[in-house]
Amino acid sequence: MNISCQNRRKNNRIKLKAGTDTLDIRLFSTTLLTLLLSIAFTIAVSAEKKENPLILIPGGTFTMGNEKRAPDERPTHKVYLDAYYISKYEVTNAEYYEFWHSLQANNPQKTLESTQHTPENFTHLPHIGDWPERATKFPNHPVVGVSWYDAKAYAEWKGMRLPTEAEWEKAARGYSDRTWPWGNAIKPYANTSDKNDGYENRIAPVGSFPKGKSYFGVMDMAGNVWEWTADWYSDVYYFHSPKKNPTGPTVGSWRVIRGGSWIDTLPRCSTTFRYYFYPTLKTSSVGFRVAKTAEKPQK
Amino acid sequence: MRNQLKILIILYLCLPLSALTAEKNDHAKYVQHVEQGFVFLFQGNNKGAIDAFESALAVESKHYEILHYLGVAYTQEKFWNKAVEVYQRSLELKPDNIEALHSLSLVYFKLNQWADAVEPLRKVIMLSPQHARGHELLGKVYLKQRQFSDAVDVLTQAIELKPNAAGSYNDVGTAYLNLKDYPQAIENFTKAIKFGPPRYAEPHYGLGTAYLRMGEREKSKREMQIYQQLQKEYAEYERFTRLTRTEPNNLQAWRGLANVLMQQKRYNDVVPVFQNCIEIATKNKMSSDVIASFYHGLSQAFINLNYPKHAQESVRKAIQLAPNIAVLYNTLGSTYAMLGDVRNAIPAFRKAIELDGEQPHYHLNLSKLYQSVGNHKLAKEHYQAYEHFLSKQKKK
Repeated sequence: MNISCQNRRKNNRIKLKAGTDTLDIRLFSTTLLTLLLSIAFTIAVSAEKKENPLILIPGGTFTMGNEKRAPDERPTHKVYLDAYYISKYEVTNAEYYEFWHSLQANNPQKTLESTQHTPENFTHLPHIGDWPERATKFPNHPVVGVSWYDAKAYAEWKGMRLPTEAEWEKAARGYSDRTWPWGNAIKPYANTSDKNDGYENRIAPVGSFPKGKSYFGVMDMAGNVWEWTADWYSDVYYFHSPKKNPTGPTVGSWRVIRGGSWIDTLPRCSTTFRYYFYPTLKTSSVGFRVAKTAEKPQK
Repeated sequence: MRNQLKILIILYLCLPLSALTAEKNDHAKYVQHVEQGFVFLFQGNNKGAIDAFESALAVESKHYEILHYLGVAYTQEKFWNKAVEVYQRSLELKPDNIEALHSLSLVYFKLNQWADAVEPLRKVIMLSPQHARGHELLGKVYLKQRQFSDAVDVLTQAIELKPNAAGSYNDVGTAYLNLKDYPQAIENFTKAIKFGPPRYAEPHYGLGTAYLRMGEREKSKREMQIYQQLQKEYAEYERFTRLTRTEPNNLQAWRGLANVLMQQKRYNDVVPVFQNCIEIATKNKMSSDVIASFYHGLSQAFINLNYPKHAQESVRKAIQLAPNIAVLYNTLGSTYAMLGDVRNAIPAFRKAIELDGEQPHYHLNLSKLYQSVGNHKLAKEHYQAYEHFLSKQKKK
């Protein structure tokens, strides 16, 4: 009995040693495989990635708000903004994946820090789908299912920031009173809930509506996805906002979103229409673009 | 025995995995319900939004945002007590949520629970001193509690935050009226009328009362007459609105509602009403002239909303149905003129005059157009025709 026990222990010891080696090899293989898959995934995402250049919006005064529309668009007022850059397109799945992947890479244990900026899954909406698979499937679709905090974190990771509400509006309407980025005519130049825009009930890849570009050449500022801005929402902010570089109220419950989306009607996609969402929400109709203050030319 | 043990161990190991999968599936359901809820909410379908948000919260209950949105949908459907419950749950999760505090106070106000509304509103103002709606509502609460001096203070701040707010001017006027400060009351009621929507009845009543107490009987009588007339219109509006709710296919009710809304210049509201009229009249195979009149009404609403293309589309449909009605061509001409298309506007106005040459404003429109293209001779001719037919109409 004792002998047998010793033998078993011995065997166990041997097995255990052998087992550890196997485990090491397995662990190594699994890590290698994961790494390779991850590299392949990243290459696949990057290969399809569309460039998203920054567009310079010159400093100067523009007209903000609209007296004739919703009460929170009043009063129409002049705003001076310093020069700034804004991304030509909404931030795409492929772009966001780089940020998200860098968090994963820096935190392989997948602690809260690495998962908290993971976009929401939309299993029930196949045209959006789950993360991160949708980054390879739809690399050039705007990223959605991101909270205001996710958007802000991405922008900061890129060395940029979210546009203020005023910056967003100037980039969309230009210097004249354009109802939509392309002008005042009702045209199918944006992905809205309209069935005739070519993207019925689904998100379009960024830049799918070249005729819908704004005066400054910024794309998709009407429809496709709402865009987070940096500002808190207040329905009376325009009555008191600073005339120069306004940055929104100091407190609030909601952050301003602009531009309308694939589930909205064209009037909600106008350059002046204001809407608001809780910053923690992650929905299929809200994405974002990034901005950056332009350096002042040295005298 | 050993096999059973193995199975048990495998099952035990699989348990957390299956729990994880179930949790993931549940979360997917939650997301789906929330998404559906927002679509309904944006479409104004509050009942749909309620179902969707309730389902979402049945899966994951601790989302302060969704609890607030559910409360908003309940409030819009006048389910006051349910709204209070979910707002309170939302505030338990996030006690300093300014908008949830405001929403809760609003429901207390609707429930006539004035005292309950005060505390959350004070908190709103403390957290967000620029919150105009918070000030406005607290002012209303103070009015109900007959704390008129407090009402004046808080409503004056509301007006500073939101200048030209007719409701606040009316409320502060009411407070001054109760404080027997009639000149201040008159000043504020007058501003309420000036800045308010067309046909805003209440300030006329306040003004009439203030004049009466100052002994200015004629002025008081005039204001009270206006008030009565506007109240009558409002009663009509209420009657037709109720009728359209109880009898959704009653074309007369929809037509009546459209007329009242057009009189009140509520063009945004009248668009869906005319669209309903068209749908019902078409379904009931009403005469072309009737259907055309609804398309015409719709086009006039669009003109007033400054949507000339939509207006043109509607009036064209009206013309297809009733090609011999002069006013339709006049409206068509107006849409062309709004779009700056003088070349097409002129023949449209000419056609209107051809069908009915005695309408002065058709001539006036054409005269203005000729003037704009430098044809002063024809502009003058049509202006003279306008004056001629106008005086003829006046004599009649």
